[in-house]
Amino acid sequence: MSNRTFSVLGLFDSSQQLMDAIPVVKARVSGRLEAYTPYPIHGIEEALGLRKSPVGGMVFIMGLIGAISALAFELWTEGVDYPVVTAGKPLFSWEAFIPIMFEVTVLFACFTSGLGMLFLLNRLPFFRHPMLRSRSMPLITRDKFALAVESEGQVLDVDRITAALREAGAQTIEVIDQPEALGPVSPRFLLRAAVGIGMACLVTGYLTYWCMKLFPVSVPMVHMLDQPRLDPQRRDSYFKDGFGMRMPVAGTVARGHIPYTIKTEDEAAVLANPLPRTGSVLSKGRQEFTTYCSVCHGILGNGVSTLTPAYGAKPANLVADKVREYPDGRIYHVIMMGKNAMPSYAAELTGDERWAVVHYVRVLQRALNARDTDIPKEIPR
Amino acid sequence: MNLEAVTVSEEMLPPVLRTPPVLDGPVSPGSLDDQVLAPVERRPPRAWFIAFACTSTVMLMGLILMGYTVATGIGVWGNNIPVAWAFAIINFVFWIGIGHAGTLISAILLLFRARWRNAVSRFAEAMTIFAVMVAGIFPVLHVGRPWLAFWLFPYPNQRAIWPNFRSPLMWDVFAVSTYFSVSLLFWYLGLMPDFASLRDRTKSRVRKFFYAVLAVGWRGSASHWRHFERAYLIIAGIATGLVLSVHSVVSFDFAVSLVPGWHMTIFPPYFVTGAIFAGFAMVVMAMVVVRTTMNLKNIITMYHLDVMNKIILTCSCLMGYAYLMEGWTAWYSMNQYVHHTFWAYIAGTYGWAGWLTITCNIVIPQLFWVRRLRRSYPAMLFVAVAVTVGMWFERFVIIVSSLHHDFMPSAWQVYKPTLVDLGILAGSFGLFFTLVLLFARVLPVIATSEMKVVLPGGQPRRDGGSHE
Repeated sequence: MSNRTFSVLGLFDSSQQLMDAIPVVKARVSGRLEAYTPYPIHGIEEALGLRKSPVGGMVFIMGLIGAISALAFELWTEGVDYPVVTAGKPLFSWEAFIPIMFEVTVLFACFTSGLGMLFLLNRLPFFRHPMLRSRSMPLITRDKFALAVESEGQVLDVDRITAALREAGAQTIEVIDQPEALGPVSPRFLLRAAVGIGMACLVTGYLTYWCMKLFPVSVPMVHMLDQPRLDPQRRDSYFKDGFGMRMPVAGTVARGHIPYTIKTEDEAAVLANPLPRTGSVLSKGRQEFTTYCSVCHGILGNGVSTLTPAYGAKPANLVADKVREYPDGRIYHVIMMGKNAMPSYAAELTGDERWAVVHYVRVLQRALNARDTDIPKEIPR
Repeated sequence: MNLEAVTVSEEMLPPVLRTPPVLDGPVSPGSLDDQVLAPVERRPPRAWFIAFACTSTVMLMGLILMGYTVATGIGVWGNNIPVAWAFAIINFVFWIGIGHAGTLISAILLLFRARWRNAVSRFAEAMTIFAVMVAGIFPVLHVGRPWLAFWLFPYPNQRAIWPNFRSPLMWDVFAVSTYFSVSLLFWYLGLMPDFASLRDRTKSRVRKFFYAVLAVGWRGSASHWRHFERAYLIIAGIATGLVLSVHSVVSFDFAVSLVPGWHMTIFPPYFVTGAIFAGFAMVVMAMVVVRTTMNLKNIITMYHLDVMNKIILTCSCLMGYAYLMEGWTAWYSMNQYVHHTFWAYIAGTYGWAGWLTITCNIVIPQLFWVRRLRRSYPAMLFVAVAVTVGMWFERFVIIVSSLHHDFMPSAWQVYKPTLVDLGILAGSFGLFFTLVLLFARVLPVIATSEMKVVLPGGQPRRDGGSHE
């Protein structure tokens, strides 16, 4: 009987009585002394000879780990794995990482303190502790204070301990037995467990499927995937005329657009070339001429084209006297509007580029109609 | 330690220096349990059901409007460009602020050994948890596609991208989620011994099972208490830093940006003070209701309300200083944009909100200089409601008034909330008070194990000779 005794426990009315009883019982009996109280009693650790709680050290170490891992993670993601410069800050801008480092430190420290205390130090949850079934437990969580001598494997001398507790002033004594050993697992329990696990698998399986497959394609999750829009060159019922594109508002001019109102080549004679004859303008003109004009008019502008004769049309000779006598504006107008088989090059060349080409055409005309006087008297050596 | 030898005992002090009693009338550990834990086991009174019906109706309206917002898009709100933050962020900052009183009471006052905190800590902590829960809804709604809000968290993803840890909005995610989880942990640890008491006294088998699971087999042994007390104190110490950091980080959302009126170094302390201010107003309001309806007048005494009202008065004066400092900073900046924003606070489109803020937060709480008003229900309810309104409008002024006049006058817009905005704001109050009402019936509203510590005769005499 007595070797199945877990503890002998005496109840006291106040914390003072409990504290007074501890040295009395300690002197009478050997064995592990433990007190059960409704709230923490100051000084009871020393009286019972308990060591100081190691929570502080645990918290310090885990807090440090939290701080270092948060900072390292932030430096790695922002500086190494995904290096994107934001707000002009350097990649390893550690100052901006401090707030999150602080929060993670707090998180690690607090959860180490709380959960470490519960699970590691106090070994909770523990639902089968013999104390929880004792008659004294409801009194202890209310207003009574208990002093217990607990067995650590040895056989307790119940009578001797009871006498010591009585002497120390305990009103009530309770002897608490060791709990029954757990029986073998019954087939009924195994069946229940299997059904339970199976149900859990089914539910989680379906929930996973729902989250991954069904949820993302339901409304409103798909709202931004399908966005109505008007396409250019397409019929659309949004506007009354059925066009997706709109005409510019009457009287407006697009940015950078200069209206061109000249109708005939003769009228164009009034246009003057606004560009100076500088090296950069001429080289620009040569580049555009070579790109767009030389295909038909020839690299020298003399009408010897690279086109196949099957094309039929005969491109103009730009260095002939006829074109040499054209004013600048007329050549510009032809580039702008086209002539005979030549289409307009207004879309390919900007205004300045057209004038540069005009300059370059003048250069070609001069070069292919050179006079003897053009040769310098003194040939530089 | 020989300090105890020179400690002056209470009786030797003149009455004015004695620690005021934190209890009204005789309370023993047993009677405390009966008083605090019994309501949890009883059927709630009719008044509770009426209150619950009201708050849950308002909550339901809010939830429906939130659903409407999610299904339609946040175009149903009044937000515009440049006022892109508006109600969602006002409500977020407001509710996060309400939460701060709880952590202040439970953590900072624990470190200061303020004995009166034990009676109000549980309720204030519960309000913290609920307020942060309510606050958390708003940024999630404000992102527009709440089902993708988890993108805020750094997790390895297919897109191979990481969030920007240099952004204050990211700091906010970490600060608020840490704050919530640590507050929940702290609250649960405090509740655990009470769950054990409930487990041992309740007759119903269902309740017993429920409380037994929550109490995780707590048996109150001295070797457990020593770890518990140490862990609890350490969390309180760290939570002190945390509570100061959370609203500082919230203020960084503003202060780190370049918007005139936001870009000020005073923002972190100014926000923290405002948060504690609003939080205490809410706690006082709730405490007045709780102590009268739940018959706890002897535990939550007029002294408690008096002390909390003094904290409100202190915070009010600090807020006044902060407002003046804002004006000074604006003037001293010699920056026309900051000047303009500051004038807009008091003389612009939303000038009325600025004056309402100043009246509610600075002028009305000055009533608490009078002791009689600190101890009168109508006066303290009036001030508490005024402070709550004032603090909400303070965030309105900071957010809407600063944003509606951008740098370019061509971008200026007047902001007007829609009915959906107002409905969700009302719904957030409904949700908060519904949670508070549920809490008051399901969990003990007073931390009994903490209260038992400060009851007379709770601790052994220091010269008792029980330990050398």
